[in-house]
Amino acid sequence: MTETIKKTAQSAVAALKAAGADKALANVSYTVTHEFNVDGGEFSLFRTLFDKQLSMTAIQGGRKGTVSQNRYDEATIAESAKACLEAAASAQPDENWDFAPESENKDFVLGAVKPDTDKLFARCQELMAAVKERYPRIIMEQMIVAHREIYSAKANSYGVLYSTHEGKYEVDLMFSGHEGEKASSFFGSGVVTDSLDKPFLEMGSIAEDLANVEKQIETSGVEGKFEGTMVLMPGCVISLFWSLLENFAGEGGLLSGTSPWKDKLGEMVADERITVSFAPLDERIVCGSRVTSEGFPAENYDVIRNGRLNAFLLGLYASNKLKLPRGGNDSFDVVIAAGDKPLSEIIGSIEKGILVGRFSGGEPSSNGDFSGVAKNSFLIENGKIGPALSETMVSGNMADMIKHLRAISEEQVADGMSVLPYMAFDGITISGK
Amino acid sequence: MIHDLLTDKKYLFASGANTELRAQRNLNRRATILNGDLVGNVRTENFGVSARVYENGVYGFSSTAEYTDETVKDVLKAASENAAFLARHAGKGKGPHKALACGVSRTGYELNDVEQKTYIEFIQALDRYIAGKYSDLMSRTVIATADSMEKLLCVSNGTDGYSVMPRSYIYVVMTIAGPEGDPVELFKVIGGGYGTFDRNFNSPEAYYGEIDKLYGDLRKKAEGVYPEAGNKTVILGGILSGMLAHEAVGHTVEADLVIGGSVAGPNLNKRVGSELVSLVDYAHTAFGKPTPLPVYVDDEGTAASDAILIKDGILVGYMNSRESAERFGMAPVGNARAYLFSDEPLIRMRNTAVLPGTSKLEDMIASIDDGYYLLDTNNGQADTTGEFMFGVTFGYEIKNGKLGKALRDTTISGVAFDMLKTVDMVSDEMIWASSGMCGKKQPMPVGMGGPALRCRVTIGGR
Repeated sequence: MTETIKKTAQSAVAALKAAGADKALANVSYTVTHEFNVDGGEFSLFRTLFDKQLSMTAIQGGRKGTVSQNRYDEATIAESAKACLEAAASAQPDENWDFAPESENKDFVLGAVKPDTDKLFARCQELMAAVKERYPRIIMEQMIVAHREIYSAKANSYGVLYSTHEGKYEVDLMFSGHEGEKASSFFGSGVVTDSLDKPFLEMGSIAEDLANVEKQIETSGVEGKFEGTMVLMPGCVISLFWSLLENFAGEGGLLSGTSPWKDKLGEMVADERITVSFAPLDERIVCGSRVTSEGFPAENYDVIRNGRLNAFLLGLYASNKLKLPRGGNDSFDVVIAAGDKPLSEIIGSIEKGILVGRFSGGEPSSNGDFSGVAKNSFLIENGKIGPALSETMVSGNMADMIKHLRAISEEQVADGMSVLPYMAFDGITISGK
Repeated sequence: MIHDLLTDKKYLFASGANTELRAQRNLNRRATILNGDLVGNVRTENFGVSARVYENGVYGFSSTAEYTDETVKDVLKAASENAAFLARHAGKGKGPHKALACGVSRTGYELNDVEQKTYIEFIQALDRYIAGKYSDLMSRTVIATADSMEKLLCVSNGTDGYSVMPRSYIYVVMTIAGPEGDPVELFKVIGGGYGTFDRNFNSPEAYYGEIDKLYGDLRKKAEGVYPEAGNKTVILGGILSGMLAHEAVGHTVEADLVIGGSVAGPNLNKRVGSELVSLVDYAHTAFGKPTPLPVYVDDEGTAASDAILIKDGILVGYMNSRESAERFGMAPVGNARAYLFSDEPLIRMRNTAVLPGTSKLEDMIASIDDGYYLLDTNNGQADTTGEFMFGVTFGYEIKNGKLGKALRDTTISGVAFDMLKTVDMVSDEMIWASSGMCGKKQPMPVGMGGPALRCRVTIGGR
């Protein structure tokens, strides 16, 4: 199959060139998915999916167009090449469009490429039984457990030709706690793994998340409004940091010129203890991408290194346009460096604050202002975790927040997609009804 | 149009099971201009066939991107085997779904697949207008987008269907510098709705007025204020009441989430809002007109009709699949929908709206001494507890019965079934929106709408 996919990618590039493209790029994939679903605490669905994807991009006279199909027979490739050139012809020329130059082409094999469907189902049954026994007040609103086997290839007209054959198990859980008519907020947890050797309950933060949600059935509100410390659980760290990086270091904010960090490359933008990396090659990331969508070999890189803005999240077009270095990969495999204090010590040092499991907020403003509801959260008072909270809002400015770091935990949660610690920030506005 | 390779496979359907075969094509077209540069120019197509089989209380499903006589048989066989596997290990001892009236629903639309240059030239004209007239913008983005779902459905029991749902929109995003040099952004959906791009958009000049208004609102916002945080009396404009109908109420009354423990479970047939509040998920016709995104038959073969959810403040129903309807003793009305050929039907909203009342908007504004009129949103999230949060991107202060300064970005939150009880005025006019995608395992185009509501919510301030 790998050879077939590679030949298809090369055929697509050749078709684009034959149709008149100066430069051509093709991404091809074939995916087989086996997926079990639980709804409302009961098994409901078993799916097998056979999907194809072909994406063809042409640059002709500096004009770029992209066409994607889920077929790649000979006739479709020829038709798509024509459609791609037609799309490109409508664009205005821009000399900054380009693809990766030729490098050492490779074939990668990653993860558990073939599923063990019987064992996967047994792990699902085991998880459901364990939840019922150990967390009796949890209702599993939805569980989606899948194995994906993906053959993919990238080729371009510079001679780039990479292939990947990968397989991974994905576990996505959505659950809430219930006691009579009282209920917690829902919460999502999950992992990506290439091994079924361990029960799912022992992976990532699943066990801790289930235990926390059971504690969130009974909630109380915060009185009034105060400024305090916000401790983000690892799953919440990712959502806030992603908004920050997208707005401040991403292509959108930089190309539009609205990013407050547009002139700050190399400058301190955060507390010196903060290092944020995109690291698909980290061994704790399962099946991290090895090749970018433009055909560059993926490399780990730090966006923020010891508080200093070290790189932007730029693809080749934005890099050429802005005359700034390209990011080392285009994955979302985030690793945030651990701190040197246990979480218990960090909590113990906080006079008044909030431990936040999930942030339900509007899109942060382009200036970094955020405000939203602290979901699945607990009050912190006098160094101890207090009651679970409801109807509590937190607000601040993300650019200011990362300069007012109180501490980073030495504990990290690795869920196969990211590696994240707990992070505590001072100066956050916390308000009740 | 999708060639029918399904109907003649009915002889393969197993007796004693429910079977669905669906062939489907999704088209997506998008062009994006950022500060004059065409940074996005993409055409996407997904086409294939799937089968779903219900046996002993569980489903098997399979799909493939190939659409031939052989692959139709293959997915049917694979779905049957998957159902049998799960039935063996986790069967619920149930028989097939209750029988539905059988029939055929055909709602065609001449799907003109517009050339990419049509999208690009249109938004280039709008971009030139903006660049020429408003030189003080920090950035400007104009996006043309179109998507369509074409479905051919064949079921063992119920309504077979052929349907096409096209929609197209233009988005304009503008950013200017606030008083302290910080970026202030506002976006608007300009025109569009149900239909292909060529039918919805004729002349760029027709949209200059809306662009001028967007710029005017952005200037007011840049000079605006942050609201005072706290629990306040507000008027939610129609866009926000539509968001409330969808996010904060609609999701909690989807029967799969009710089974999962949503707040709607213990509140059926109880008061959840003031008697001024009624809420309906419309199928294809509302107030004598086609809904923004009409649905005539769902992907389980249920002929679509309206789902009455809240009537005069009382929660009276849920949105259902065939399976959940049997569990709750309700009739399915066509809410089981799938986004791609490779997606199984899930319980989804269609066109969900708060019903209009009798108050005049100007009287509602005049009735508030100190509050806010909230007009636009970029984002909404809600919990199965009914706790919701909406980002507010535009609105005004209300001081002594009159509109005051514009607002900067803020957030409102509340608990739906508490907040709806505070509704004491409902305007006599409503607004529909249909450009959004609802996210729930799969995306799905949905319509949402509502009148202006006077109520109390928590507003976030800065």
